[in-house]
Amino acid sequence: MSIHSKAVPYLFLLPAVLLLLIFNLYPTVATLNQSLHAQSFISNKLIYVGLENFERILNDPIFWKSVQVTLVFSILVNPIQIVLALLLALLANQRVRGIALFRSIYLLPVAVSINVTTVVWGLMLDSDSGLINGILATLSLPKQPFLTAPSHALWSIILLATWKGVPLWALFFLAGLQGIPESVIEAAKIDGANRRQIFRLITLPLLRGVLLFVLVADTVANFLLIAPVYSLTQGGPQLSTNLIMFETYRRGFVYNDLSTSAAMLWVMLIFVLLVVLFQAFVLRRRG
Amino acid sequence: MRGPETFIQSLNLGGRRSPAETLLVYALHIVVAVVFILPLLWAIAASFSPNEEVFKYAYPFSWRALLPSNFTLAAYENLFARDFGVALSNTFVLGMVVVIAGGVVNSMAGFAFARFNFRGKRLLFVGIILITFLIPIDLTAIPRFILISELKWINTWPALIVPGLANSLVIFLFRQFFEEIPQDLIDAARVDGASWLSVFYRIVLPLSRPVLITAALLMFLTQWDSFFWPLLVAPHPALRVVQVEIAISIGEYQTLWNELLAGSMLAAIVPILLLLPFQRYYIQAITSSGLKD
Repeated sequence: MSIHSKAVPYLFLLPAVLLLLIFNLYPTVATLNQSLHAQSFISNKLIYVGLENFERILNDPIFWKSVQVTLVFSILVNPIQIVLALLLALLANQRVRGIALFRSIYLLPVAVSINVTTVVWGLMLDSDSGLINGILATLSLPKQPFLTAPSHALWSIILLATWKGVPLWALFFLAGLQGIPESVIEAAKIDGANRRQIFRLITLPLLRGVLLFVLVADTVANFLLIAPVYSLTQGGPQLSTNLIMFETYRRGFVYNDLSTSAAMLWVMLIFVLLVVLFQAFVLRRRG
Repeated sequence: MRGPETFIQSLNLGGRRSPAETLLVYALHIVVAVVFILPLLWAIAASFSPNEEVFKYAYPFSWRALLPSNFTLAAYENLFARDFGVALSNTFVLGMVVVIAGGVVNSMAGFAFARFNFRGKRLLFVGIILITFLIPIDLTAIPRFILISELKWINTWPALIVPGLANSLVIFLFRQFFEEIPQDLIDAARVDGASWLSVFYRIVLPLSRPVLITAALLMFLTQWDSFFWPLLVAPHPALRVVQVEIAISIGEYQTLWNELLAGSMLAAIVPILLLLPFQRYYIQAITSSGLKD
């Protein structure tokens, strides 16, 4: 009986742990292994090549171009999304009549997948006769080559990612705002704080944990963005939207160079782990 | 930086609003709501229009762009004529299978972490659940893809189902909920001689409706939205899921705009119909991933 009951928790865990080990943890380690090998064309066997794959990507201008595009994209899209998400959450936190309807509308982009967003915005941003150019024409503004000019295409990806992303991150901020006790704000008002002081000295500091989480999660999510690039620009024009996730997909599955692709994925993995560790470090220092 | 601060002040964090401020709040709501709803309204209208009229009122823009110009179901009929229905039903069936099988696997693991003390508990939780939660699965897709091809699972159902069944976030959610169930209830059943399996199925699960809804919603929507993995392992038309079908259509049917939009709207309506009534559960699921523990 006692031996039997000792085994119980392990039996409950077995299916999940086994599946995670095989399909999540093993592939993580194997990515590193793959990146240290080259695929032989004849036998399909792996040949150990050391750091050659890493050397190759570090000497590859297309890789560096995609790093640069990804960096510019991240520096633009993350602050834009986070600021807008915070403002949207503040707006959605207002108790006015009809707020439930507005909140439901703001939930729509969360429900709609990134591929659907890509189709709808892809057609709206059509350089010839898209809806956005239609609105510009109504305002007597010149037509814009949204997806066809290197100067515009990345901004178009930012635009559609922001439309889709802001409501999701706003949900986190809204949950954070609703977690701030009314009594704290009341007390501050009795002490004579004005609204601006309340926002700066109470609301923002109490949202710091949420802000940190959103910063990390949003950075990682945008780092992995691939659908709009895959469907609309294929990295172009002139590699201007060649985000690193798309570049790894192209190497691995279009050019069948799985080993170089694995090396790039491992570099990305290290970046993601650094971002997550940064979060853990800041949280620990605070707590 | 006068702008944002006046905006924030107008949001009046606590306290009574003047009529002018209330008006401003409504005006902001309406502007933001238009930004979020306009693309979808246009897409719906265009999906019910003849293909040659999709852009008719979009450029130059007129409000008629938001109503079907010559109402027709042609786009939807053509979609179903070329197997879009297959992708829809594939994704739906996959979603149900993942919800049921994943629900069993993840709730059991959550139960073990919530209600038992055993050797290696911390190690298993941090070393497997937490680590896999932090590593984005798309970044480890290549060895998983090779594994799937060695198993001869490319273009088969198991490739779409099995790798995603165990889900660390869902295990977290179950663990959190099961921790709150009163010990007395479990002890009473144990004293009556119930096995742990029957405690789990007869006592714990019936008390866990909220977390079951949350987990089911999360797993179904994750499956419904999945794109990168199905694109790699199951590109065959007979196994296509809805997101892959849409992404491929953009290239294959690039001038059949009304059909592209019709497919997108069909792909969008399912999560919208699930999310709106159950938004409380969904919001709880995603926010607890970041805000608790």
